[in-house]
Amino acid sequence: MAETSSGGDRLFRSIAAAKPKLVTGVPDGMLAETIKLCEETPDFPYIACAREEECIGVACGAAMAGERAIVMVQNAGMLNSLGAYATMGLRYGLPFVVIVTNRGALADPNGYDIEKREAFDAGVRPMARVFDFDAGNLPDDLIPAAFKWAEAARKPVILALEKRLQGETRMGGEAAP
Amino acid sequence: MSSPVNTSNLPSQKDAIAAAIALYPKRPFAVSDVASQSGWLKAAGHDARNLYVSGPMGLATSVALGLAASRPNEQVLAIAGDGALAMNLTSLATIAGMKPDNLAILLVDNRVYEFTASVQSPTRDLDWIAVGRAFFGEGQCVRLSELTAERWAGVKRPALIVADVAPSAAKPPPLGLTPAMIRAEFLGASRG
Repeated sequence: MAETSSGGDRLFRSIAAAKPKLVTGVPDGMLAETIKLCEETPDFPYIACAREEECIGVACGAAMAGERAIVMVQNAGMLNSLGAYATMGLRYGLPFVVIVTNRGALADPNGYDIEKREAFDAGVRPMARVFDFDAGNLPDDLIPAAFKWAEAARKPVILALEKRLQGETRMGGEAAP
Repeated sequence: MSSPVNTSNLPSQKDAIAAAIALYPKRPFAVSDVASQSGWLKAAGHDARNLYVSGPMGLATSVALGLAASRPNEQVLAIAGDGALAMNLTSLATIAGMKPDNLAILLVDNRVYEFTASVQSPTRDLDWIAVGRAFFGEGQCVRLSELTAERWAGVKRPALIVADVAPSAAKPPPLGLTPAMIRAEFLGASRG
């Protein structure tokens, strides 16, 4: 079921501002609005993958040709993709952007999401650069800035978007320890 | 238990890869899976348009899809082993859904994990022609042994080429290329 995500349109506009060659992903409720907008735009193709690891491969194919590519997946999907992220993205130093909805936050307490979030913290953060953001309050220049960082660092970057309680602050824009 | 397959008359993986590339009037971008396919692709003929995928097994079809979407005016050939493609079989569903008209997959089927002591692959009895036809349709799944350049030019993409190949007693020579070298050379060719 699609969830209301007040940041969906804002995220799409930030994606479009980065002028990607392609966007690829596997749906999550928090990403549904953005995915629909990506499917409708004539500015770049949205490649709907059957499984998240494929998305990393698709992004690597574009990045190997020097093009900007964006991946959108849920945290459980990122966990499915760590082998590809490491052996292609990190090994070849490919500057693509991965948008991960980090489910299971304090404001997002579905029982089936809790372990995904804990596994994301334990498995992804030690090997990848992750910047955390409030999905309801995204900076307009988020995706262009993420590409600038990835291209300077010569490696992919993960933007973890989460639901937050009103007034909750949690290291916005900073990597978690 | 696998069916006995007479491999004495089958081409080598290296020769099958070279034959598939030769079907194209202009050299395609060739995206090969890690280990066996990358080694044999390089042995068949190194070219700046070769993209040697460094892992994980099976990702070549997805990398090729991203490349094909990025270079719609170029032909892209993904090269996958049977064991590798089985690890990313869902990519066939994705490719079938996207319908890239510049992407083909060469499946080199030797029925073993050649780089892993030639342990038998679980797909050794799979009818890959039937699998390809289920995803892409009858006209878009063909045997390499039945192809000519003229016939290949008329095959709609995306397409699957199935090549039965003989398992090799030896691994291919090492790539001898660093990731930085592969990336830099391919970047130049893909922008050319």
